[in-house]
Amino acid sequence: MAVLPEADRDELLAKMCRDFSKLRESTSLTKPDLRAAIDAADLWADTNSAAYNTALPQPARAELTAKQKAMLLMLVITRRWEVT
Amino acid sequence: MATRYVFLPYSAEFPATTLPELLHIQRRPVLAFDAAADEVCYWTCIAPQGMTAPLTAILTYMMASATAGNVMMDVAIEAVSDGDATDLDAGVSFATTNLSSATAVPATAGFIDQLSITLTNNDSIAAGDYVRIWVNRDANHASDTATGDLYLLSVELRDAA
Repeated sequence: MAVLPEADRDELLAKMCRDFSKLRESTSLTKPDLRAAIDAADLWADTNSAAYNTALPQPARAELTAKQKAMLLMLVITRRWEVT
Repeated sequence: MATRYVFLPYSAEFPATTLPELLHIQRRPVLAFDAAADEVCYWTCIAPQGMTAPLTAILTYMMASATAGNVMMDVAIEAVSDGDATDLDAGVSFATTNLSSATAVPATAGFIDQLSITLTNNDSIAAGDYVRIWVNRDANHASDTATGDLYLLSVELRDAA
């Protein structure tokens, strides 16, 4: 899978701005700063997707679909950092 | 300068889409303008007698989360005089928008700031005109860099008197 299209990254920026506002979490990042971080996170996910897949043990690696593996990673990260 | 009107969130009017959300922050009504997409609202008034140009709009706001970056707001006027050939049930007739300079947000979210915009383009407003004022956050402007919502607390309209 390639990196996200620009429009998708734009939507993620909009969503993060809305989430910061809802939670009223202060940030000194500007929109360009935040967008650069989104771009980097997306690139990192793309670059390391094969390594993540290899890290999963069998039979999960063979049986889970790509979306299920993504959900697994999202749930673990969400729980580790208690992101709501 | 004299204050001619103070417009508050409860009396704002909204388009069908792309409108700021009316929220309560510590029980204070605010209009929340998104960081990623332009949103607009309006207020209506009658231009008072004795009003003199230039007009200035003073926007009192605070930020929901941003402590750095700039915001860009614009204000436009629609002024309809008695006898004008303006069909109000067919469309709108706002003059060219008046754009603020890139305004640095306060260093603490929740602290107020007041942003001043001279309404150079005022649709030839005259005393007695039926007037609408449009307020927009130009969120997709390259110089609007502050993340998170802008909470608009009030709009004060001053004239030169």
